[in-house]
Amino acid sequence: MIGLTSVTKTYGNASVLKNITLQIDEPGIYCLLGRNGAGKTTLLKSIAGYQNITTGKIEVDGKVISTSTLDTGVSYIENFAKHFNLPVNKLLHIASQVNPNYDYELASEMMERFELDGKKKFNHLSLGMKTMVSTIICLASNKSVVLLDEPVLGFDAIMRVEFYEMLTESFRKHPRIIIVSTHIIEEIAKTIQKLIIIDKGSIRFFDTLQAVEEKAFSVSGLKKDVDVATENLNIIGQDTVGGLVTSYIFDKPPVVGASLELKNLSLQDFFIQMVGHRGGEKK
Amino acid sequence: MSAIPAIVKRIFSSNKISFIITAIVVLCATTSGDAEIALSNGNYTWLLAVMTPFFVVYYDYTKLVHLGASKKDYYTGSLVSYGLLAFFISLINTGIHLLIDPLNRTQTVINMMDVCKWTENGIIFAYFQQALFLLLAMIFLHVLLSMQPYWYGWLTDSILVAIICIFTPIAPLRHILAGFFKIIMFNSHAFLHAGVCLILSGVLSLIGLAVLKRKTL
Repeated sequence: MIGLTSVTKTYGNASVLKNITLQIDEPGIYCLLGRNGAGKTTLLKSIAGYQNITTGKIEVDGKVISTSTLDTGVSYIENFAKHFNLPVNKLLHIASQVNPNYDYELASEMMERFELDGKKKFNHLSLGMKTMVSTIICLASNKSVVLLDEPVLGFDAIMRVEFYEMLTESFRKHPRIIIVSTHIIEEIAKTIQKLIIIDKGSIRFFDTLQAVEEKAFSVSGLKKDVDVATENLNIIGQDTVGGLVTSYIFDKPPVVGASLELKNLSLQDFFIQMVGHRGGEKK
Repeated sequence: MSAIPAIVKRIFSSNKISFIITAIVVLCATTSGDAEIALSNGNYTWLLAVMTPFFVVYYDYTKLVHLGASKKDYYTGSLVSYGLLAFFISLINTGIHLLIDPLNRTQTVINMMDVCKWTENGIIFAYFQQALFLLLAMIFLHVLLSMQPYWYGWLTDSILVAIICIFTPIAPLRHILAGFFKIIMFNSHAFLHAGVCLILSGVLSLIGLAVLKRKTL
């Protein structure tokens, strides 16, 4: 269980996390989406106890988390995580020794599956393979909360598919809270249960993918018709091209006439509309 | 299985460079044959105690945490490593002092165990006194190095430099400084010395724990 209560993190005058309150009670694979600089890494690091928040409270399994928590029960891995320059086999073995809950069997299985050369030293691996080793260590940690910060960075398409399968299998074997931050939205959709969207330090969305499928639509047509159809609905964005308007809504499906086009929003389009700005400018 | 032995083993394994450098210096260090006095090669074993905390703080910490070790296990493992290393270094220097130093019959061989007056209590006491002093030195360095990325580390550095600079030229203050070193280092009273080293090691360990609790990653 993860509980964030009014969490704020500031660096000087800049607020990176703004008054975030979030409760994750059920085991599941959660996807954390956000633009670069939205506060994803800061949020994950704060939950892992790698850094302190400015105000508020973070709890994991009832334990208050900060840098002073000597054993957090959270496993966090970031890109470019540094490891001892040892053969992969040995590295995974040491991980099993320094963490008594470590699932060495799972780690070995994943290593074979990804065709990782166990004899190769960590520094001699490609970026993708390094990230894979870090991810395996994190998933096999058997901690109640696993945080993966952009784990698919540097993976080719096949590795990504394998990774998503591995994630699902790992969760099936040991259900727990796994939060994955990524930019490759559509690919992870089949793997995750819930979606968290963070933008400019605030949580914009936290719900199931089903909710997105059932409530996220675009309505296109003449402005007056669109305005009528979407009246009193939750409009999350709008595009205007010539006289035609497309309104993006997150609400019950609107009743539209023949002059309007109603479409389900893809996860990526939904995300773009939720964060509400393109090219650095607020729409 | 407890994580501590694995962490200790890893700390020693990743500290190979310190072991090699110390071994080379101990084996190769020489004093001119013309000089009346010669420095015991055993003195250079202390180099290992000086170098080890650098590796533990700057090299091992991040990597062990990324492998899934908790902060608590890392810190306990570090302290156990320092303890084992202190007794190991002391054993080697004591061995050199007993077996190799007497072979030089033409010069007066100076070993830190004599300089610090520890041998006045017999070699067994000297061995323990040396080990406890080295333990204190390693924990002190660990704490000081852990603080370096933070403002309070720089403040501590400044205070230490200020103490040395101000206390050394002024006679009464110099006596206080000398008195402090007489207690923690140049102390022939074995039990007093051991007690002071243990108490200071304990206090510094607690400060180190407080620093670790603020340490970000």
